[in-house]
Amino acid sequence: MSEPSPMGNFHPVDAPSYESILQCMRCGFCLAVCPTYALTNRERSSPRGRAALARAVAEGNLEFTPAVGEEAFFCLDCKACSTACPSGVRVGTIMEFCRSQEQAFHPPSLPAGVLRDFILKRMLPSPALMETSLLPLRLYQRLGLQWAVRRLGINRFLPDVLVKLEGLLPLLSRPLRLEIPTVIPAHGKRRGRVAFFLGCAMSLVFPEVSRQTARILSQQGFEVVTPREVKCCGAPHLAEGDRESARRLAAINLDLFLGADADVIVTDCAGCGCALKEYEELLEGKADHERLGRFRAKIRDISEFLAEAGIRTEELKPVPLTVTYHEPCHLVHGQGLSGPPRQVIGKIPGVELREMKESSWCCGMAGSFALKELETSRRLLERKLSHVKVAGADVLITANPGCHLQLVSGLRELGMKQPVLHIVELLGRSLPS
Amino acid sequence: MLTKTVIDHLRQKVGAENVYQDREDLLVYGYDATPEIQGLPDVAVFPDNVDGAKAALSICREEGLAVTTRGAATGLSGGSIPIAGGMVLGLTRMNRILEIDEENLTATAEAGVITVDLFNAVAARGLFYPPDPGSQNVSTLGGNVAENAGGLRGLKYGVTRNYVMALSGLLYDGTEFQTGGKCVKDVAGYSLRDLLIGSEGTLGIITGVTVRLISPPQDKRTLLAYFRDIRTAGEAVSRIIAARIIPATLEIMDRMTINCVEDYMKIGLPREMAALLLIEVDGHPAVVAEEAQGVRRILEEVRADEVHQAGNAAEAARLTAARRTALSAVARVSPTTILEDATVPRSRLAETFAEIERLKEKYQVRVATFGHAGDGNLHPTALADERNPQEIKNVHAFFSELYEKVLSMGGTVSGEHGIGIAKKSYLLRQFGEGGIGVMRRIKDAFDPGGRLNPGKIFIDSAPPSAVRIRGGQNV
Repeated sequence: MSEPSPMGNFHPVDAPSYESILQCMRCGFCLAVCPTYALTNRERSSPRGRAALARAVAEGNLEFTPAVGEEAFFCLDCKACSTACPSGVRVGTIMEFCRSQEQAFHPPSLPAGVLRDFILKRMLPSPALMETSLLPLRLYQRLGLQWAVRRLGINRFLPDVLVKLEGLLPLLSRPLRLEIPTVIPAHGKRRGRVAFFLGCAMSLVFPEVSRQTARILSQQGFEVVTPREVKCCGAPHLAEGDRESARRLAAINLDLFLGADADVIVTDCAGCGCALKEYEELLEGKADHERLGRFRAKIRDISEFLAEAGIRTEELKPVPLTVTYHEPCHLVHGQGLSGPPRQVIGKIPGVELREMKESSWCCGMAGSFALKELETSRRLLERKLSHVKVAGADVLITANPGCHLQLVSGLRELGMKQPVLHIVELLGRSLPS
Repeated sequence: MLTKTVIDHLRQKVGAENVYQDREDLLVYGYDATPEIQGLPDVAVFPDNVDGAKAALSICREEGLAVTTRGAATGLSGGSIPIAGGMVLGLTRMNRILEIDEENLTATAEAGVITVDLFNAVAARGLFYPPDPGSQNVSTLGGNVAENAGGLRGLKYGVTRNYVMALSGLLYDGTEFQTGGKCVKDVAGYSLRDLLIGSEGTLGIITGVTVRLISPPQDKRTLLAYFRDIRTAGEAVSRIIAARIIPATLEIMDRMTINCVEDYMKIGLPREMAALLLIEVDGHPAVVAEEAQGVRRILEEVRADEVHQAGNAAEAARLTAARRTALSAVARVSPTTILEDATVPRSRLAETFAEIERLKEKYQVRVATFGHAGDGNLHPTALADERNPQEIKNVHAFFSELYEKVLSMGGTVSGEHGIGIAKKSYLLRQFGEGGIGVMRRIKDAFDPGGRLNPGKIFIDSAPPSAVRIRGGQNV
């Protein structure tokens, strides 16, 4: 029998490395933490099963069948398995590669493909185009249609996915990217210069959150520079299996932010942070090794940065609230940051943290998963909210726009009163005005 | 390949959503955590109740199919790998805890209940189910019974066998059995229960388990000691036991494991040390204090190079971190991790370590050893790459010679992983033709047709059809 080639039945472009797949020793520890396995009790929908399918394709024991592609997209890419894995296998990443393979083997049908290409290759790479394409949505909200749809229940007649989308969309205001000053001076004793990576979703959907991030950094003694020419971090492209566009965007951001001459690069979006930390791997061999290393060393999530630099608490006002914290997958599992957000919460005077059960379990948003797998997403959200309910805090804290949208829509649907706040909004309330 | 009629019949009896026959599903029901072995069943069935299991089994009889029972497939000897094809009978959907009986101190559960779920459910009532195999977060109770799983608490609290009171299930011929009960004393007839425990799915299909529960310990004390010479660590273990102190945990890690953990965690472990002992005593607070003092005295007498004692829970967690991370740290080093469980009388520990060092040199293999020193149960773990046939050959030669030595010291070829596929030849060495012959007759009495989990335990029964798929990883 001849040795199977390393690619086996994979398409040669953007295939997962055989090395990364072989590292799985099948101990099964991941089964305990995988949300899709918990729901299905089906091995192929578990991390160990998915790695085994990839291995079978790589070893020529299986074609890249539609079922393999389905599993790649049914994976939430929540990376909980990476945290649980003793051998350091990253099944989420292997599945991202398999999503690229799916595009190669089974490209989407024409209209869906055109829409996908428009979103990934034209709209997301161009902030200006994205901002205009959301304009009709803003108009629709202003006209009060949103209110009418919600109140009168017209959305019952819309297809389920539109209902979901409708439930997710908050009131949109002007994108922050166009309004935030390029440079904000440090307040008080200067502690350094921070480049702020303003993510698309943050700028468009949560501008007030990112405004707080910039305000906090400045108040804490950091000069904040926010490059206007920032591009999408590439996370949606990796998630959809378009690694080529992701690399193109990454290369632009790499130059832009290394040129910003800052001590660190901070983001308040867990998804962006996770993607930025992966540039080194994404651009390996395609950009200068030393520059990639330098870029990687500068990336910080806002909580990570504040916990590391130390929060100046002298001027903080008490915020008398009980809070519970939902850990974004891309923070806890993608970046291994579980302690720092809690340290930041712990520094705010008056705040009491009440831990919820399974705080690091996916909320079901998972990028576009919430729109593609409505039923699975709903069940994950219900599981999450049942724990939120038991924790019984005044406020639900999180740190990622995707989770934020999903949690708000779920709480509204269940008639639960807690507001959802990004961790910087909570800290922002403690800052002197 | 099964006919459509058979599949339809199964679907009708067990529920369409519980029957899998696509290649993508069958491939992932063809392995467990044992390296280098892959099978491929013809169908995988996941009944959600005993009636479903009975129906599936009856179809197997009609078709003459082999049946391999599967829990969470975390086994390390290949017990749940369907190397003869046929049906994989998965029990993970039979996962209800049926009863916690506080008057008799027992719990009864379906076989697919996850070990830690049972632990938590009884803990909520102030009770304790001690067996804690390394895979307890995923492993099933039925799998634990079938493999007679051990764990870290084995030394003081015993292993799965010591807690099983009753079993229910099915034989291949359809006979339903119920063996044992809630009686503390029970000497009626042969103990079929005890034959089934550790039978690796070759005698019957266990669908229900009743276990014994105890009171949890009220207090715990954690100590950590380092040794420049591994023989001193071995001596410390012997003297602790000789002093009639039975710690709940008495774990050892060798130099290579210490260094793997330090490479991975960077928590400042002393790389120059040859061994680490992690010791936890638990029980009544007064006894715990006395035993902790006794352990400390012994560690000082044998001149351990460093001794740390935890003052509180956070410190205890820090001390146990290295041991808890051992497998992770070791498994990251290489693609293929071959975890063995050579076990010796605990007085022979130091000798065993010396032999491991000698054989590592002889065969030029990388082996990190950690394990349950108090049980004499070691996990020499080979760090290899299955793409390198020479290295794999060396690893197997290393283990083969090590087991020779282990047996000569009165040890056993498996402390807690079972025989399955991976250790059949070692078992023959341990028992000889005579011993194996007796086991064979027991097997024939339960399953005369040899249709339950064929190809396991007995070396002569590996079916020629074992090679089920293309590729380099077949049996």
